Amino acid sequence: MKSAPSQLLSALKVLLLCLLQLLLLCACSTPYPKKPLSNKGTSGLDLVSKPSAQKLFLGEESNAQQLKPASAAEIASGKVSEFFENRGKIGNFGGSLTVATFGSGPKTFNPWAATEVESHGIGQLLFESLIDVDPWTGEHLCRLARSFEVSDDKRDYIFHLRRGLQWSDGFPLTADDVIFTFGTLIKEGFGNQSLRDTLSIDGQYPSIEKIDAYTVKFRTPKPFSPFLASLHGLGVAPKHALEKYTKRPHQEFFAVWDVNCNPADLVTSGPFRVGRYVPSQRVELIRNPLYGMCDASHRRLPYLDRFTEAIVPDQNSMLVKFYGNELDFLDIRSIRGPDARLMKQREGPGNFKMYNLGSDDGTMFLMFNLNQRKDPQTGKYYVDPVKQRWFNNLAFRQAVSHAINRTSILNNVLRGVGSTLYTAESPTAIYLNKKLKAYDQDLEFSKKLLTDAGFKFSHGWLLDPNGNKIEFTLNTNAGNSIRDGTCVIIQNDLKKLGIKVNYQPIDFNILVDKTEQSLDWEAIVMGLTGDKIEPYNGANIWKTEGRLHMFDQRLPDSSGKTLVNDERPFEKEIAHCFNAAANTFDQTERHKYFDRYQEIVYEQLPFIYLYSALDLTAMRNTHGNYNPTPLGIYYTPKGSLHNIEEIFDTRAKSTNRIREQK
Amino acid sequence: MSIAAYILKRLLQALPLLFIISVMSFTMLKLAPIDPLATLKANPAISQAMIKAEEERLGLNKPPVVQYGLWLSRTLTGNLGISTAGGPVSTLLLQRAFNTLLLSVLSILFTWLIAIPAGTYAAVYRGSYIDKFFGLLTAVGMSMPTFLLAMLLLMFALSSGLLPIGGLTSAYYFDLSGCAQILDIAWHLVIPVTVLTFVGLAGIQRQMRGNLLDVLRKEYVRTARAKGLPEHTVIYRHALRNAINPLITLLGFELGSILSGAALTETVLSYPGLGRLTLEAVLTKDLNLVMASLMLGALMLILGNLVADILLKFADPRISLE
Repeated sequence: MKSAPSQLLSALKVLLLCLLQLLLLCACSTPYPKKPLSNKGTSGLDLVSKPSAQKLFLGEESNAQQLKPASAAEIASGKVSEFFENRGKIGNFGGSLTVATFGSGPKTFNPWAATEVESHGIGQLLFESLIDVDPWTGEHLCRLARSFEVSDDKRDYIFHLRRGLQWSDGFPLTADDVIFTFGTLIKEGFGNQSLRDTLSIDGQYPSIEKIDAYTVKFRTPKPFSPFLASLHGLGVAPKHALEKYTKRPHQEFFAVWDVNCNPADLVTSGPFRVGRYVPSQRVELIRNPLYGMCDASHRRLPYLDRFTEAIVPDQNSMLVKFYGNELDFLDIRSIRGPDARLMKQREGPGNFKMYNLGSDDGTMFLMFNLNQRKDPQTGKYYVDPVKQRWFNNLAFRQAVSHAINRTSILNNVLRGVGSTLYTAESPTAIYLNKKLKAYDQDLEFSKKLLTDAGFKFSHGWLLDPNGNKIEFTLNTNAGNSIRDGTCVIIQNDLKKLGIKVNYQPIDFNILVDKTEQSLDWEAIVMGLTGDKIEPYNGANIWKTEGRLHMFDQRLPDSSGKTLVNDERPFEKEIAHCFNAAANTFDQTERHKYFDRYQEIVYEQLPFIYLYSALDLTAMRNTHGNYNPTPLGIYYTPKGSLHNIEEIFDTRAKSTNRIREQK
Repeated sequence: MSIAAYILKRLLQALPLLFIISVMSFTMLKLAPIDPLATLKANPAISQAMIKAEEERLGLNKPPVVQYGLWLSRTLTGNLGISTAGGPVSTLLLQRAFNTLLLSVLSILFTWLIAIPAGTYAAVYRGSYIDKFFGLLTAVGMSMPTFLLAMLLLMFALSSGLLPIGGLTSAYYFDLSGCAQILDIAWHLVIPVTVLTFVGLAGIQRQMRGNLLDVLRKEYVRTARAKGLPEHTVIYRHALRNAINPLITLLGFELGSILSGAALTETVLSYPGLGRLTLEAVLTKDLNLVMASLMLGALMLILGNLVADILLKFADPRISLE
C-alpha cells in the first residue's frame, strides 16, 4: 500500500519499455537466427603499436599545423612543449561524434564533486590525469606526467611533469596544480569524499610536496601498491581557476562547475571543453585547441571538433536513435543480449560495426545471508536460526552451486551475450586465477554432497538433519528481465534438489536497504562492479569490516566504527590476502595473494558466481581509429573510447577539402 | 460580489487546500520505501563518510516532521531546495517549464481548434459520413494509450526518415540561423503535438457533439426555429452558446494541467519536459523536486479552475459569483 504510487509508476514504465521493445522487434522484420552470436572478439583486440618514445616539440603552433621537432638549444632554454604522441593512424580534423546516455544525464562537469558515474565519465574527457592505465597492456601509462619513479622504501613516488602543457585558457599547467589537487581539493575534502578515501591508507592521507615547478613527490604512510592505480583517470584540477572556491565553505564546492555553470568559466586540460549543456537533451563538448597530445605527424589532437552526448530516457530510445542515424556510437552497457542479435543483422545496411570487448568487469552472483548474530535493537536473530545452519553449511552452498545450470542462463537469458562465471574476478581481469576450473551442472554430485552432510530426501522435499523442509526466499531487483530470468532458472534447478525457492523481486532501493541496513534477507541475486586492473578496489567487499561485505554484513556502531569478533577463518584469510597484496610491489607476490583469495572464494562460496555480461559496442563506419580494448574502459561517456583524441570523422574530410579549395 | 473580491476569496480558500496537499504528498513520499541514496550505497567505491555527508547535505538524517518543517519554511521564502542529483530545484523546473509550456499550449490550441468545429459539425449533420468518420477517429483516440500512439509514430519516423526520433532540437541546432532554429523545433514538435492533440481531441469533440445535440433538442431551439429564425442563427447564436458552457470547465482543467506535462509521452519521445523530470524524480525519490512539481501542479489546477469559473461568468450571464 505504502509505495503504491511509485510502484504503479515503475510498473507503467516497465510496461512501456516492454512494449517499445516489442515494437522494435516488429520493426526489424528479419527473424532471429538460430545460431548464438559469436563470442569471439570481432576486432581491435590486438596491439596496434607500442607507445613511441618521448619527443619534444616546439610549443607555438595553431590548431592543425605541424609542430616542429625541438633542437637541443631549445630544449635547454626551456621554451619547448613536451607533447605526448598518440598511437593510432593519422586521421583528418573536424567533424563530430554523437553518443548517447540513458537516464537523466550528467549532473556536474566538476569531477572532484561528482557522485555519479556519468559526471565522472564527462570529467575524464575534460581533465587529464598524471598517469592512466595503458589500455593495451594494463601497465601504467604516463599522461600529464612524463615519467615517475618509486623510491626503494616503496613510500615515495616522484612524478616529473611534461613541460609547456597548458590549460584550455592558455595558463601553464605545472606542479602547483598537482599540489592544489591532491594537497588542497582532495585532502581537505572538497566535493566527493570518496576520492580522499581511495587515496588514504588506513585512514591516513599521503603527504605531497613540490620539488620544483615540474616535479612533485607523494609520500605514503606505508608501502601501498594500489596507490598508483588509484591515480588512474583522476584529473588534475586547475589551481588558477578553482583556488578561490576553496576559501569558501566546503558545501559550496558542489555547485562549482555544475551543469548550469557558464561553460566559458570552465578551464580544462583534456581533449575537450564544454560547449553547451542543453537540459535533458544533450551535452556538447568542443575541441580544446591547447590539448597536450599530438598525432604521428605532430599535429595537435583531438581530431574531432565536437563530441555530443545526447540524453535519452531509456535504452530503447537510444537504440531507435542509433538505428535512425541520429547517433554514431553505442557504448558498452547499451546493447543487451536480445538487441545484439538483431543489431548484428543490421550491421551492413546500418553502416556500422559491432565490437566485442569480452567480459564486463561486473559479476553476477547468488548469495546467502550467513549472518548468525542478533539485531541489538530487537534482540532477535537477523536470520531464522534453522536457516542459518543451512546457509552456513559449506556442503549446502556447494550443492546449490553445482545444481545451477549456468549454461542455460547464458543461452536462454543472456542469449549468448555473456560468459559463465565461477571466480570472484571477471574473466578479462588481469589478476584472474586461471587455475580455477568451470564445472557443469551436476545434480547427482549435489545430492551426494547433501546426503553426506546429513540432509535427507523425502516426498520430493529436501530435509535438513533435524527434519525441517528446506525453503527460502530469493530476492533480486524488480524490473530487470535478465535477473528475473536468472532467478527463475535457479528456482527450477533447485526444485530438482527438493529445495523450494520463493522468488520475490523487490525494488532496487529496498534491496539495498536489506543488504545494508535491515539485514533481513535470506538469498539474493545481484551484481557488483569490479576492477579489471586492481582487485584491491574490491577491498570494501572482501575485508570483514567492509561496507559491502554483504554475505555477512557487520554494521558500524554509533561512533561509525565496525567491530568484528566472530570472523570466520576464511574471512580472515581473504582479508589477509588483500592486506598482504597491498603491501607488496612484487607482481608475482601480488598474483599469489589475489590467486589465493579467488581460490578461497571458489571453495567457500560466500558468493555463488553465475555470469558476467559481455561488453558490446557499435560504431558507425564513418569514424576511424576506434580501437577499443577490454582494459581501456572508463565510465560512460568516455566508456570504451579510451583513445577519443585520435578518433576521427571521415565525413569531415570532404568538407575540409572544399574549405581548402575556397 | 465584485470579481476582484471573488478572486481573493477563492485564493484564500486555496491556501488550506495547498497545505493539506503538501502534507499528504510529503507523507506519501516519506512512506514509500525508496532510499534516495541507494545507488550510492550499492557502489563499492563510495565510503560510509561520503554517504553520511550526502545525508547531511540533503537533510535526510532528520526526523520526517522536522524535514517537513524545513521544507515548508524554505518553500514559503521562495527557496525550493536542492535536488538529490545536485543543483537547485527551481533551476531544474525553469529549464523544463518552457518546453512543457510550448508542447501543452500547441496541443491545446490544435485540440480546440479542431474539436469545436468538428463537434459542432458532427452534431448539426448527425449521421453524415463526416460525423461517422469523427466518431471512429475519436473512438480510436479514446481507447488508444498515448504512449502506444507515440511509439507507432516513432516507428513511422524511423522507417520513413521524414521525422526526427524524439527530442526537441537537433544536434546541430545551435549552428542554425534563427529561422532555421524555429523550423527545427517545429519539425521535432510534429510527433508530440500530434499525439497529444489526437488524444485530447477525442474527449472534447465528443463532449461538444453531445452537448450541442442536447441543446438542439431543447424547447427554446424549437421555439426559435418555429419563429422562423434562419438555421445558422439558431445554431450559432442560440444553441452553441448554451452548449459550450461545460466545455469552459474542461478548458479550466486543461489550463490547470498546462505545466504538469505528459510524463509518458515525454518519456517515450525523449521530450525534455516537466513530466519526464517529475517521473524520474519520483522513481529516485528526489523529495524536493517531487514536492515542487506536485505543488506546482496543484497550484495550476486551482488557478485553472478559477479562470474557468470567471470565464463561465462572462460566457453565461445567468451564473452568479455568489
